[in-house]
Amino acid sequence: MKRRQAIVVGLVVGVTASAGVIAAAAGKAPVRSPKGPPIGPVVRADTGAGELLLAVVGGVYSSRSEAEAANEALAFGDLQGYYVVPVAQFQGFRQQVGEPGEFALVSAFRTEEGAQAFAELAATLGIEATILPERVRSLGGLYAGLGQEASPDGTGPLLGPVAESLP
Amino acid sequence: MRTGPHRSGGLRFLSTAIPIAVVLPLIVAFHWSRLGWRDGHVNYPSRPSGYTQIVNRFGQPCNAEARAISMSWTAADNGVTYSFRFHRKLGGLPTAMVSDKGGKSTNLDNDVYGHIQNAHLQPYIKHGIYGYACRAKRNSNEWSTHAFGIAIDVSSAEEYMGKCTSTVNKNHASIWQNHGWYWGLAFCDPMHFQYATNY
Repeated sequence: MKRRQAIVVGLVVGVTASAGVIAAAAGKAPVRSPKGPPIGPVVRADTGAGELLLAVVGGVYSSRSEAEAANEALAFGDLQGYYVVPVAQFQGFRQQVGEPGEFALVSAFRTEEGAQAFAELAATLGIEATILPERVRSLGGLYAGLGQEASPDGTGPLLGPVAESLP
Repeated sequence: MRTGPHRSGGLRFLSTAIPIAVVLPLIVAFHWSRLGWRDGHVNYPSRPSGYTQIVNRFGQPCNAEARAISMSWTAADNGVTYSFRFHRKLGGLPTAMVSDKGGKSTNLDNDVYGHIQNAHLQPYIKHGIYGYACRAKRNSNEWSTHAFGIAIDVSSAEEYMGKCTSTVNKNHASIWQNHGWYWGLAFCDPMHFQYATNY
């Protein structure tokens, strides 16, 4: 009888210990998604400070309130289109658009492909979109849409970036 | 009696008109299926609920699969043909009406599109049509379902976001719903159909 009890107790302890070891190992193992590295459910507020970026511009306005009103009226539907940012946060921006105002509707990109795709989306919806011919240097500041392009975590194949525009 | 010949003429007219009225719709209508279209209903993915399931089923936002398949759709009101992209799992499988695009199912470009054509509901597809877009939701920092290639906006100018009733898309919404798509009217976005819930 004692021998049987000892066997049962031994089995229970053994199984419990094994389960504990397996659970601990599973907890420590890195969670790998079969669909690539996780990007997360929210768009990272990446300003690309110091990087050379492509800017797609939807208009330049003299005040923030004018720019926000104009942005609100754009028919991007359920998608976020442009971001209202001060012109001064991009070095080289004013030289390309002149002096029409202090606030612009902008979406910034690291790649030619991303900028083109956004400009095409805007064109489909009948919205003005101009890709500035020269890259502008981000001085930080407000988020301007960076990362909303293929491989937004920066690890993927960025088509046509220049070295300084890499994160 | 003048009524006799008149009546027989009327009967002759009816005897011709009734068969035409019966047969003509059969010839003219349902032309899409007469061209060979069939609802394939092949290989539909199960509809995910919430962000994690969306990623597990369709991949990360803006991944290459999300924009792998393209199709064109002409808006009935302005005649513009819109080309847009969507996820490989939601179409692109070859059928009698769709060329081989390397897709994995018949859902969007064959089945949904075909049903709308076959039921003569194309007049209710109005301008402003788009699919994949690597963007966040409006006024939010969350990824849009468009970034996964699992959302299509149709008649976007008329069925604008914030409108809590539908005037156009209501005519074909049931077709989308019968093929796994969730209609954005539930959150006052009647232009929007997405292959996911709770997101």
